[in-house]
Amino acid sequence: MASVTYKNVVKKFGDSTAVDNINFHVEDKEFLVLVGPSGCGKTTALRLLAGLEEITGGEIQIGDRVVNDVAPKDRDIAMVFQSYALYPHLSVYDNMAFGLKLKKTPKDEIKRRVSEAAEVLGITDLLQRKPRQLSGGQRQRVAVGRAIVREPKVFLFDEPLSNLDAKLRVQMRAEISKLHQRLQTTFIYVTHDQVEAMTMATRIAVINRGKLQQIDSPQNLYDHPNNLFVAGFIGSPAMNFFPAKLRKDGAKLVVDSGDFVVALPADAAKKYEKYEGREVVFGIRPENIHDVHFTPPNIHGETISVKVDVTELMGNEIFLYLVNGKNTFVARVDPRSKMRVGEQAQVMFDMDHVHIFDAQTEEALH
Amino acid sequence: METSKKSASLHKANLKRAALPYYYLLPAFILMGVITFYPLIYQVIISFTDFQTKDLLKQLSSPELKYVGIQNYVEIVMGGLPVQNFEFFRILTYNLWWAVTNVMVHVPAGILIAVLLNTQGLWMKRLYRAIYILPIVIPPIVVATVWQNIFDEQYGAMNQLLSVIAGWFGSADPVHIRWLNEYTPPIPWLLPNGPLTLAYYAMMIANFWLGWPFMTMVATGALQSIPKDLYEAASIDGASGSQQFWNVTVPLIRPAMIPAAVYGFTLSFNLFNFVYFMSRGGPARSTEILVTFAYDLVRNLRLFGVAAAFSVIIFFVALIIFLITNRITHATESYSEA
Repeated sequence: MASVTYKNVVKKFGDSTAVDNINFHVEDKEFLVLVGPSGCGKTTALRLLAGLEEITGGEIQIGDRVVNDVAPKDRDIAMVFQSYALYPHLSVYDNMAFGLKLKKTPKDEIKRRVSEAAEVLGITDLLQRKPRQLSGGQRQRVAVGRAIVREPKVFLFDEPLSNLDAKLRVQMRAEISKLHQRLQTTFIYVTHDQVEAMTMATRIAVINRGKLQQIDSPQNLYDHPNNLFVAGFIGSPAMNFFPAKLRKDGAKLVVDSGDFVVALPADAAKKYEKYEGREVVFGIRPENIHDVHFTPPNIHGETISVKVDVTELMGNEIFLYLVNGKNTFVARVDPRSKMRVGEQAQVMFDMDHVHIFDAQTEEALH
Repeated sequence: METSKKSASLHKANLKRAALPYYYLLPAFILMGVITFYPLIYQVIISFTDFQTKDLLKQLSSPELKYVGIQNYVEIVMGGLPVQNFEFFRILTYNLWWAVTNVMVHVPAGILIAVLLNTQGLWMKRLYRAIYILPIVIPPIVVATVWQNIFDEQYGAMNQLLSVIAGWFGSADPVHIRWLNEYTPPIPWLLPNGPLTLAYYAMMIANFWLGWPFMTMVATGALQSIPKDLYEAASIDGASGSQQFWNVTVPLIRPAMIPAAVYGFTLSFNLFNFVYFMSRGGPARSTEILVTFAYDLVRNLRLFGVAAAFSVIIFFVALIIFLITNRITHATESYSEA
């Protein structure tokens, strides 16, 4: 059981900087997910913690101990690799027992730990098999089992689900969450899939181009993204963005995109008043755009007219791809909506759930 | 009438189509027949005769050719050939020993060199890899001649080198070791006076030069196919460098190395040109292997029938060894995903 701290951590490969001055602290027993697009440095950040890459600058602590110069095996960590990295010539049992055997753990103890882990993961029947005789999901479990038997202070997962098919991924997601509750250990998990991040994490760290963008609980990250990147990365379909200008229209503060003008409700207007005249990016999530015939009660709605470009029926909802002037955007509306492709229609923006970012700095305005 | 004619022509067309693949195979069959099957069968036939020089003109229709049954085989195995220093089982044993010791040296050395050359950040890797192809592309007869000269008693580089080293220890006498001709080893406490002569050791050294590059080449390929994350997983599991070597590298290059070792074994077992040109099987047939002996039977003793029988025996010996090693080592098995 241990906390993990990144202090001004930098990793360079030659001239390119993979991890650029990252700082964060992971509490004991937390489930932190590092998320970002491919090549953003999240895996490198994890490998630095595992000791598989050497740190260029800064320091990493596990518990109170600085581990910069500690060998991987002495860091009290276990890692699950994207490729599983099972030893192909060893049986499942021997794969899981390998680390313990090297540590000269007594045989009974090894047996106890391996069978316990196998029990938890439901792979007791597979212990005598070789990795090549297992399915992807089973290999995944063995890789997790190999980590469990080490009883580490910190579990590291490097995109462990990306080689599984969609259905299995959903199932393993739940199992890893369960495992976290059961083991009560610190988990650090790397993924490029924001759904995985949202569903499993106690906190999410969003990384882009080697820099930490925001670290927060999934809900806070979703509701209050710090900047354009986080706003666009978290959530599916992604948030809609419109270049716009904040200006006064009589007593009201309005967002003027050139094609449409929508007024901010009083409390938001008060908050953003000081930015009047500023070039901004106006953001609104698809679920906050409604068919005017099916709007939730008591919202501060602003109606704009659109042309329906594409409709995607999902059963429980409909994704509408809409056009307004030069803007195209997505709405996620009530399944009873009767909007059809090519129609002119009215949609309503829920102005209580909008995001306004500075067009220059791309930071959220508060 | 009309329909039966039609069906007959249809039948003919089908037959033609079925025969078509064999037309394509025919040239290969003819070639194989002329250069492989005919000599093979011919050899088996004359192995049951007393075929000698006088029969060369008329071959099998020679009036003097006598069929002697399995007499040639019996004489080879039981002794009774008019040949000096020939005991079949001694030569067979030496031949097996020669092949086994060669493989036992080449394979570990090849792996070791491959691992060293595979070190990350090593300079001029490509150059080394180009260099170790050299022994493979130089004809063994050239290699044998060069090494024969190196081990020459009077002018050889080996004796000169030893003379220099002896000079450091205060000996002014030039070293004159008769590497390829001495039957009694000059240093009894180091190389006991047994079935292995100095020539054997000299040839081991020379054949090492010839043999390791192939093993290194195979091992390099195998090493590069081992995923890096297995080593990372092992290092997290607590494996030291040598433990990673024994627990990851060795088992994972094993599927590639075992067929290579079997191949190396058969190659050394029948390494005619190198052995013949380096030592001619001497001194006193102490480094003779089966194939060089078979050649001697023809070239010097002109016992064609006996030599043919001998070749058949070699063929079966090699076949049995191959089947045994294949069974023991599961050379064809691999860890790759099915």
